[in-house]
Amino acid sequence: MASVPERWRDLRRRLPGTAQAGLALAVVLIVGAFFHAEGSFFEWGTHRDMLRQMSVYGILACGMTLVIIAGGIDLSVGSILALCAVLFSLGVIHWGWPAWLAAGMALGAGGLCGAVSGTAIARFRVQPFIATLAMMVFARGVAKLVSGGQKISTAIQGSDGSYEYVPTPASFEMLNARIFGDNVAIVTIVFLTCAVVCWFILSRTLLGRRLYAIGGNEEAAWLSGMPVKSTKVLAYGLSGLLCAVAGICQAGQELQGDPEAGVAYELTAIAMVVIGGTTLRGGEGSVGLTVIGVLIIGYLEKILSINAVGEETRLMLTGVIIMIAVMFARK
Amino acid sequence: MKLLHVSLWLSLSISLVSGQDSRTYTIGMSQCNLGEPWRVQMNADIRRAAAEHPELTVVFKDAQNDNLRQRAHIEEFIRAGVDAILVSPKEAAPLTGVVRDAYRKGIPVIVIDRRVLGEDYTSFIGADNRKIGRALGKWLVQRLGGRGMIVELKGLMTSTPGQDRHSGFREGIKGSELEVIFEADMKWLEPNARKEMESALARFSRIDAVYAHNDPAAHGAWLAARAAGREKEMLFVGVDGLPHEGQVYVRQGILAASFEYPTGGKEAVETVLRVLRGEKVPKEITLPSRVFTRENVEKGGDVLE
Repeated sequence: MASVPERWRDLRRRLPGTAQAGLALAVVLIVGAFFHAEGSFFEWGTHRDMLRQMSVYGILACGMTLVIIAGGIDLSVGSILALCAVLFSLGVIHWGWPAWLAAGMALGAGGLCGAVSGTAIARFRVQPFIATLAMMVFARGVAKLVSGGQKISTAIQGSDGSYEYVPTPASFEMLNARIFGDNVAIVTIVFLTCAVVCWFILSRTLLGRRLYAIGGNEEAAWLSGMPVKSTKVLAYGLSGLLCAVAGICQAGQELQGDPEAGVAYELTAIAMVVIGGTTLRGGEGSVGLTVIGVLIIGYLEKILSINAVGEETRLMLTGVIIMIAVMFARK
Repeated sequence: MKLLHVSLWLSLSISLVSGQDSRTYTIGMSQCNLGEPWRVQMNADIRRAAAEHPELTVVFKDAQNDNLRQRAHIEEFIRAGVDAILVSPKEAAPLTGVVRDAYRKGIPVIVIDRRVLGEDYTSFIGADNRKIGRALGKWLVQRLGGRGMIVELKGLMTSTPGQDRHSGFREGIKGSELEVIFEADMKWLEPNARKEMESALARFSRIDAVYAHNDPAAHGAWLAARAAGREKEMLFVGVDGLPHEGQVYVRQGILAASFEYPTGGKEAVETVLRVLRGEKVPKEITLPSRVFTRENVEKGGDVLE
């Protein structure tokens, strides 16, 4: 007769990955239903705000999923986000560019940063951890340089130290707005769009199949004639591109470009991917799992926040719940 | 003959001029981190004040929030034989030793904002967070007519500025009917403040004022309230009052007030000059703070008594 832990393991093994992650999410939701903070948890506004808060992280986590499935890691996402937020703000607010042009510049910069990391990893065999760590430091430096160390806001300082005020550009207001009868934030739509695009890439394209193959067994992928190097560069490039999308959303929500934005966001993004059930070994996982991971962390933070739980307790509880969630989701 | 005359005059005047300029000073400035806008501003204030004195050259180092790196930076200054050291330490205990070494070697050391232990430094310059918190509390009591529901968005509560801004504020509102109905630690970060404020808005249908321990957090809270269409029903008050942050938010009508936490950069340069001239300076300089409101921001704020 099988012991209880064995039966428990057996039960979980039979569940598909999505169901396991879903189970962890359900546990978090039940906790929320118990600690509903005078009914706040049952109002749509609470969920809408949680989704808005998690959107920027979620966009980063989508890119991170591509990279992790290909057997890599990207530590530079927070810094690239800051750089792109600053560039977008400079373009629209200070230089008066149309939003599409400023967004194009930010996307170009983000994609380029990612591609540089990818090239270092694929072509020059630098470990992903080190290459993206270097990019994390470098991109932060560039963000500080182009912004002059200050937030790029609608108060523009002249050379004589006085301020000129410009109205908040429409593109920023648009990114900070909500649609569908005020029920969904624009950035949440952006996040879901990114998730769908990444899901499509991973499950319906040749590129996606190659990412899984390389993450699973790089040598086998190479021996079977796959363009391993260019696929890797593409994975990091896409991650960089998504960082730019996240950066533009971040700037839109803060109504300014902050060169200090996104510090430690890479850890949250990695946690979201892993809690969903995508393993750091590479070769398996999905964006769907990552979306569940985003919701788990999002709800966790929201429940602790609406209950005004103290910081010490919050940190301890987050640690415990992440551990439990990962144990649920683990194969 | 005439040529000789001219050249003599020339050489004399050159030597006179260079005689005046011969005493130049190099000052080392060790900043604990440049991740905070307030510290970026401190360095900018030092740079601007030093620019008015051509005899001063300031070398800046950024310790990136690392005690040991900051210690190494000060050791480098000592070895380089700088004429004076400005230091805004990350933490007291790990940097006390190296500051003492410099001071005992006869290098004047001006400590800014955060303290070191003991007495082995030339002068300490800083503002009083507790006093600022208290003044802010009293201002809010007066502004709200003695009663109201308050949200407090606290800075990192394991840091002294966070603790002092909190306890000072509580002293300031003591005896009034101001009630803190929601408080959360936003760790000095604007996105966190917005997130916490959204929770406060979800829970409470009436909020009269938001006290944030720094201006970016007050701005984040305002963004949350605006998204909920409730920014007009409450006041937003922050601390720091930097020219490009808090003062701008006050001008734009986002904050009702910002309470300045002065950087002390300008005062540090002035103090160093006095020391280098051989004057005696006070061991402790407490910086006056100002409050910026919509009424007074254009004329530079009012000094808190």
